Amino acid sequence: MRVVEGVRRSGVGISAGRTVQEAAAIMESSGVGALAILDGERLVGIVTDRDLVRRAMARSLPQDSRVDEVMTAPVVTIPADADIHEAFAIFRTHGIRRLAVVRGSQFVGILTVDDLLVDLAGDLADLARPVTSEVLFPQRDVPLPTDA
Amino acid sequence: MRASVGDRIVIKGHRVGEHERDCVVVGVEHADGEPPYLVRWEDSDHETLFFPGPDARVEHVEKKGEAPGRAGKK
Repeated sequence: MRVVEGVRRSGVGISAGRTVQEAAAIMESSGVGALAILDGERLVGIVTDRDLVRRAMARSLPQDSRVDEVMTAPVVTIPADADIHEAFAIFRTHGIRRLAVVRGSQFVGILTVDDLLVDLAGDLADLARPVTSEVLFPQRDVPLPTDA
Repeated sequence: MRASVGDRIVIKGHRVGEHERDCVVVGVEHADGEPPYLVRWEDSDHETLFFPGPDARVEHVEKKGEAPGRAGKK
């Protein structure tokens, strides 16, 4: 499975010159928890709802502060066509919950730990179904016919 | 996915009870209509770049002179 196939949500991007207040409003409008900060289509940073709380609100930053003051940069990225297991490895080693998916330097979307967990839960349920039914409804072997 | 200026993009809710989101395409970055799109969000009027995922669908706006039936949900 390729990384891009694991992305379940649309991505939203804004320029670095937008304000933290605008970033929060856009998150609310679009329903995303992280915005890609872009120079054209090139990814330069990521800002999350948590960044807005910890780096802006908690520090009493003015609402018209530029979003690049609170974004995370550089960004940990993964190529869109990479195998999904490479994403597992990055999540494991970097301790992050969101991973920017790129083609070259162009932003494509965001892969989240939640996305992967939902997929894995579905796969596990598929695998468990025949085992569960065997435990709950054991099938008796039909005895072989015996010669009378 | 392909979209044109004026098309509406609807993003489904991801949790039970979460409402759909709407935005309108106000600019197409690539001549072939491929993403990303410059969109305006309905409820805040903010413009952003939008990179559609599997949760998004395009509702094409019928253009003047376009035969009925060509426009619709994709």
